[in-house]
Amino acid sequence: MGIIMGNILAIYRKELQSYISSPFAYLIAGIFWFLAGFFFSIILQQLIENAAAFDLQRQQLGGQGAPSVDVPYLVVQNFLGSLSSIALVILPMLSMGLYTEERKRGTLELLSTSPITNWAVALGKLLGVLTFFVTLLMPLLIYEAIALGASNPPFSIGIVLLGHGAVILLAASILSLGMFISSLTDSTILSAILTFALVIVLWVIDGAAKSMGGPMGDILSHLSLLKHYTNLIQGVVDSSSLLVFASYIFTGLFLTAQSIDALRYQRS
Amino acid sequence: MIEVEHLSKVYGTTAAIKDITFKVNTGEILGFLGPNGAGKTTTMRILAGYLPATKGRATVANYEVHENSMAVRQRIGYLPETPPLYPEMSVVGFLDFVAQIKGIPAGDRPQKVESAIKRCNLVEKRHTLIRKLSKGFRQRVGIAQAIVHDPPVIILDEPTVGLDPRQIIEVRHLIKSLAGSHTIILSTHILPEVSTTCNRIAIINQGEVVATNTPESLLSQMNAGGGYELEVEGTLETTQWALQSVEGVTLVQSLDDDPSVTAAGRHRFQVSVDEQKGRDIAAAIVGAGLGLYAMRPTGASLEDVFLKLTTKESPVSDNDQPLQDSMDRLEIEDRHTHESIEGEHGKIH
Repeated sequence: MGIIMGNILAIYRKELQSYISSPFAYLIAGIFWFLAGFFFSIILQQLIENAAAFDLQRQQLGGQGAPSVDVPYLVVQNFLGSLSSIALVILPMLSMGLYTEERKRGTLELLSTSPITNWAVALGKLLGVLTFFVTLLMPLLIYEAIALGASNPPFSIGIVLLGHGAVILLAASILSLGMFISSLTDSTILSAILTFALVIVLWVIDGAAKSMGGPMGDILSHLSLLKHYTNLIQGVVDSSSLLVFASYIFTGLFLTAQSIDALRYQRS
Repeated sequence: MIEVEHLSKVYGTTAAIKDITFKVNTGEILGFLGPNGAGKTTTMRILAGYLPATKGRATVANYEVHENSMAVRQRIGYLPETPPLYPEMSVVGFLDFVAQIKGIPAGDRPQKVESAIKRCNLVEKRHTLIRKLSKGFRQRVGIAQAIVHDPPVIILDEPTVGLDPRQIIEVRHLIKSLAGSHTIILSTHILPEVSTTCNRIAIINQGEVVATNTPESLLSQMNAGGGYELEVEGTLETTQWALQSVEGVTLVQSLDDDPSVTAAGRHRFQVSVDEQKGRDIAAAIVGAGLGLYAMRPTGASLEDVFLKLTTKESPVSDNDQPLQDSMDRLEIEDRHTHESIEGEHGKIH
């Protein structure tokens, strides 16, 4: 067990180090922070303007009509919603090189002939890339802390943390599936495109399933990443949502380990 | 230490290796010699547990490579055809990573990495990123990663390919220094490599092992290319006719590739004989009334042995210069002997 942990840790550290020394990783980080910051300020500005207009309207009506808007809650909701859209584009780019690079450089031959299981390699890689993504999220928490710190009455920190937990779960699911796809091909571009396509399908499958109806529709709608993600960021912790994310992560790891093993049989 | 029994590997319908059997004893260096595409890399990969064999058994340190893959992986160091390197890592960082995934405890790692760096002459490059290293240094890092965990068995697939002559000599010295405490199998298509570094040679051609022996025994067994070089005033036909009477002469071939070297009317010939028949040859030439101007014994080379074993119906496809030279000579032999070259016996009629 200790050896397996050591192996996972070795792969994990190697992956992290490759991000630190890769200009590509900095580029991704830059784009991500720019987009996230841009969306955050837009959302904040719009909601505050809307809320101000709404309050004005209410005052003119003499305190009658609709209840006041919960601006902090809406900010978090909308921001996490837009964050998931950015992640949809960024995550395939993070997962695309996980195995394609190993295949291209021939280092997969080193890993496959070392006393380390495919599972340990896959898990170490997933943890590495996930850590990189979590690092990308960190500065965003500072924006949110500043904005929400100004809210009165104080906003519940629990919802924010739960929302970010949901982002991480979503990211882990997509990265795990993306890792599997990257283990299938030598081409990074192909791996990114296929992962992106798969993620889009899993994202919108909810809508398709609803129009389909029946038991088949029920099953398909349960696979939707969007549905479970929306549940979580609204503060609804449903064990079935957690289970769906966990299944995606496990499936990705399992398929990766299998595909790397199968690679040895088809290599010519 | 390494035992291979009736090993076969089939890709689709083509057989990469067919029924290979050989053995490497503890502490020995076995050279796995063959032209490109003979199945060397496939065999290496099977031994390293990277590819499963279609049929047969291969054991390393008494563990079957496929059934007991993990046990074998712990006991081998493997340098694939292209050294598996992470360009963004430093030499020392990479070797530490390899030691880690090979299961070396944290406490022993610095010392093991240090000793691999020293052995492979990488001391001044230790903190350089692998991306910035030249081809020769990368190859050395490749060898360092194969020996960093001090495995009992080392598998090297073409360890000197792409190196300059000085680096090749260094790498050969390094490999030789590893023998004794390690059992080594190395594949190559370069002949001098095996004759200078290996205790034993297995020659593989078209997926089959055609000979296994020490370089010396192979030479004496084949007696290939042994004989005399003559400079005679006479044509090939007359010389051949003159030498008919000498017992043991198996081949007379023309060496006149450069006419300016020899004076008018004189030609150079290579005569192959089984034993020391210099006296008889000289007597036969002079007795036939031909002028004998020079006579020089020529030794057999491993190159000849290799070509005899690996050249049958299809020619060796290789761009290596020494090989190409011998190929030309081989073609000359073929023309004059009207016989294809026999595999095992190496006798040409």
